[in-house]
Amino acid sequence: MLPVVSLTLFLPLAGAVLILALPRPTARTVHSIGIGTAGLTLVGALAMWLEGVSGAGFSQVEELEWIPAIGAAYRVGVDGISLPLVLLSAMLFLVAFIYASSLRERPRAYVALVLLLETAAIGTFTALDGILFYVFFEVSLVSMYFMIAGWGHEDRQRAALMFFIYTLLGSLPLLLAILGLYLGSPDPSFDMRAWIANPPLEGAAAMWALVAMLVTFAVKIPAVPLHTWLPAAHVQAPTIGSVILAGIMLKFGTYGLVRFALQMTPEAFREAGVVVLVFGVIGALYGAFAALAQTDLKRLVAYTSINHMGYVIIGVAVAALTLDPSVRATALDGAVLQMFSHGLVTGALFFLVGMIQERAHTREMGEFGGLLKTVPLLGWSFMLAAFASLGLPGLAHFPAEFQIFLSTLGTVPAAVVAILGIAIIAGTFLKAIRETFLGEPQQRWHSMPDLSVRELLAVAPLLVLTLVTGVAPSWVLDIIHRTTSALVL
Amino acid sequence: MSDLVFPIVFPLLAAAAILLLRRGAAILALAGVALSLAASLRLLGATASGDSAPLVLPGLPDLPLRLTAEPLTALFSVLVAAVATCVLIYSVGYMKRESGLPRFFALMSLFVAAMQALVLAGDWILVLVAWELIGLCSYLLIGFWFQRPEAANAASRAFLYTRSADLGLYIAIFILIGAAGTSQIAATLNVDGGTAVAAGLLLLLAAMGKSAQVPLQDWLMRAMAGPTPVSALLHSATLVAAGAILLIRVAPLLAPNVLLAIGLVGGITTVAAGLIALAERDLKRLLAASTASQYGLMLIAVGAGVPLAALLHLLAHAAIKSGLFLATGEFQHARGGTALRCLRGVGRDRRWTFLGFALAAMALVGAPPLSGFFSKDAVIAAALSAPSTAWLAPLALAGTLLTGAYLARALRMLWLEREEGESESRPVAGARWMGVGVWALVIPAVFLGLTFGPIEALLGLPGPEAHGTTAMLFGLLAAVVGLALGWLVPAPRLLGPFHPWAQSGLVIAGGLTFWIGRPAMAIAYGCQRLERGLYATVLSVGRGGLFIARGCGRVERGLYAAVLCTGRASLAVAHLVRVGDERRIDGLIFSLVAGVRGWGDRARSLQSGWIHHSLAISAVVTAVTLIILLSASLSF
Repeated sequence: MLPVVSLTLFLPLAGAVLILALPRPTARTVHSIGIGTAGLTLVGALAMWLEGVSGAGFSQVEELEWIPAIGAAYRVGVDGISLPLVLLSAMLFLVAFIYASSLRERPRAYVALVLLLETAAIGTFTALDGILFYVFFEVSLVSMYFMIAGWGHEDRQRAALMFFIYTLLGSLPLLLAILGLYLGSPDPSFDMRAWIANPPLEGAAAMWALVAMLVTFAVKIPAVPLHTWLPAAHVQAPTIGSVILAGIMLKFGTYGLVRFALQMTPEAFREAGVVVLVFGVIGALYGAFAALAQTDLKRLVAYTSINHMGYVIIGVAVAALTLDPSVRATALDGAVLQMFSHGLVTGALFFLVGMIQERAHTREMGEFGGLLKTVPLLGWSFMLAAFASLGLPGLAHFPAEFQIFLSTLGTVPAAVVAILGIAIIAGTFLKAIRETFLGEPQQRWHSMPDLSVRELLAVAPLLVLTLVTGVAPSWVLDIIHRTTSALVL
Repeated sequence: MSDLVFPIVFPLLAAAAILLLRRGAAILALAGVALSLAASLRLLGATASGDSAPLVLPGLPDLPLRLTAEPLTALFSVLVAAVATCVLIYSVGYMKRESGLPRFFALMSLFVAAMQALVLAGDWILVLVAWELIGLCSYLLIGFWFQRPEAANAASRAFLYTRSADLGLYIAIFILIGAAGTSQIAATLNVDGGTAVAAGLLLLLAAMGKSAQVPLQDWLMRAMAGPTPVSALLHSATLVAAGAILLIRVAPLLAPNVLLAIGLVGGITTVAAGLIALAERDLKRLLAASTASQYGLMLIAVGAGVPLAALLHLLAHAAIKSGLFLATGEFQHARGGTALRCLRGVGRDRRWTFLGFALAAMALVGAPPLSGFFSKDAVIAAALSAPSTAWLAPLALAGTLLTGAYLARALRMLWLEREEGESESRPVAGARWMGVGVWALVIPAVFLGLTFGPIEALLGLPGPEAHGTTAMLFGLLAAVVGLALGWLVPAPRLLGPFHPWAQSGLVIAGGLTFWIGRPAMAIAYGCQRLERGLYATVLSVGRGGLFIARGCGRVERGLYAAVLCTGRASLAVAHLVRVGDERRIDGLIFSLVAGVRGWGDRARSLQSGWIHHSLAISAVVTAVTLIILLSASLSF
């Protein structure tokens, strides 16, 4: 039997090594290797998807001894919560490489860096060992730092540094929590499966560990008020950086919230659930209102991410608070599907905003007008993605948000006030669409070219999946639900 | 496959085919709605004979999607398809000179499909899906001429108003699913107590948004920036109708106090929108205000506990209002606008269309024996028989009176002699298609009353309890008075001091834009300021960190220098020591060499030949050499 998970996980790394080993490769070669590796990785992820997950616990587990003295081992595997995120990563990285294939500025380092990032991303989602998880979690940080610092926009150094320091300081508490879990386990081991099956910490220790994890993940998600690095990083990051940052790296936070905080300190989470819920509600509303005030399209999309991640936090908090397993399953179904959908939709939105910026060298919506006439493909793609983002039924966010709000109303009715967010986000995107794409076309943009084949190949798969997931969410939800319905907390 | 999907699937397929082929749009769309109509009629026949099974489709885990055909839903389905067919026939002519036809016809088809899904839905999730998709289609259709800023604004406003009100539907659905444990509509209608009241009020909010009830009426008038066939479809059988259809369907759920709220909202709207219509200077906007007013009457009927009356008025109004809009579209093409002033006398130029318009208008006023006479009669009877009749009956009669007044005013303007210097009518392209569409709707508007008996029998819903004669007399009186006032008295004099206010759309203290839009933006800018503050704080924390780091750096440099000095000093010492060592040892060796020579000279003199002497000297020299070597090796 092929170790599919490990192959998928290390293929990108192998690609990066290959690129660095080649003497003086051309840009074309480098991009071909990037696309080819990402394509193979997607094949691996699809193989994992077809293999599927069993109900309880993890599936497709692969294990190797690493540091036996301290009980750390190479352990990878997936369940219904991580598998959709692995598939999402594989897809987003592939379209990112396709989009980046026109890059001529130090392509070798760029592609190698993104490939390293891909391994780090898939590794974060598949790791079943505390140390291994932390390593991948941090490696992703480093690669993203170099990506922003090396290929970003004018003020990139500062943004990259801010991003790095913020998230690095943020991730230290997680290390403490992991050590706490390790020391607390009866049979010292970094096996996350054991931590989930028998949460090692109790009482105050568990609460401290939870607080530490919450700090780390709140920075990563990001939850208000620890979110200020996000708009800054997005504004300066190159398009691919934004797509991966929003599409995948924010999910490290929400994934960790489920995998670590909810599953390893469930009792403490139940006690602190209301606090987390309040942060989720505030984040959702704050993100929506802040988005409404933006005139820069990229900042706007960045703030809608904060809003959408707020819904995920709400879903996870409700899952912790409720005592009814079916409500918990619904809440987690919604939260995980929301992560998946957000990757697709926001990925597409950042691509489209990047395309606008490349053409116009500005992202201020007031500078545009009537672009739907000038660049219809781009315009309609943006409208589709925007309506998906505002939660229109038939598109990917609707089933997720519906499940989150449904379980919220049954558990903590007051928290359903967060639903105001969907009206505010609607206003935000309608304003953006009206200012940018509707109205009289302006003379200065008349020669703006519509989407090229490369751009279409990057954005169309995401839009098609957004539609498919909205119309028939069961293709993802079946996998998610198999795990969430068997979850014991 | 169940027959239930066909009314939805045919227009959906048509929309997809139009988008893919990008040609033959009109024919494809027409085929789609015609097949949808056939499928709906078949469904109605099946339900009439009691032969229909719900269809369960995959949806969310534990919450499958359902389609059901009851006589009521099948009837709505027929209504939607029939109106859509007429409107699309008309559109072929109306849109003849426009570009972007594939987009127009694909959206119209999608619109019909979504509306069919809404009326045939058997569970709340599908209702919500269809409900929002209708909003999307209206947005895109109202904004069809998106290059015109007023169309873009009107579309955004319509979507935003209805979406905000839709939050009521969202929460109502969560409450109902939570209470009943299932999303099946029929099962959720049995809940009672506080849950039913909360859900009922929230559903009312959603319906108010879609059916443009006060204070959410403003978007409907502005939506006239879209193409006229869109308005016709929007007002009669789709977007605006969705609100009333929702309330009719959930009637068993509604608690007495919710009914009162619904009746009052409807009553206030019917009067307020009637006043707005009376003051309106544009025919399309007049008809839009009239729509809000008529849906107000339907809400009165629902609030009176007689959803059947609301349903009958909905059916009659669908045919009448779409007919009126389509006729208006033809006038618009003839005169290049819809302002009442520029339409003056157009009725004399386009007599057949004017006849259709007049017949439909008289039906809406409630002239016997046209369809509106029966339906309005039922509404007034319902208001008279309601527990809250003291509120509802006067409002319903006032609404009827106003209907007569504003329609008489419109008819008069259309029929008056054209004044000198005003624009003449132009020939209308595609008039034949348009004529067919108009009359296909006017004829049912006239004769639909004949079907009300069979419909009552089919649905088995209770009618208004009594007061048939009283209602008829009052209704006729109100209509006649209204007609006379509208024809004889100019609107400004009729409305008196209310006229400017009514002309501005009865906006109360700045309207919703002021009460909701501005605060929302204020909060948004507040968040933005907070955001800048937060960012600045983080930056200053970062700078503080840097400052401390710089301080540390200085200390570091000092320390470094100190360490360096110490190092250098010790190096120097070491050097000295080494130099010293080397000198001493070298000196030792040299002196040793010199000494050895001296000793050699001496030794020569000592070579006395005496053995004991020689031996003694050798021993001393060996000992000294050993000591020197030992001390030298130790010193390294």
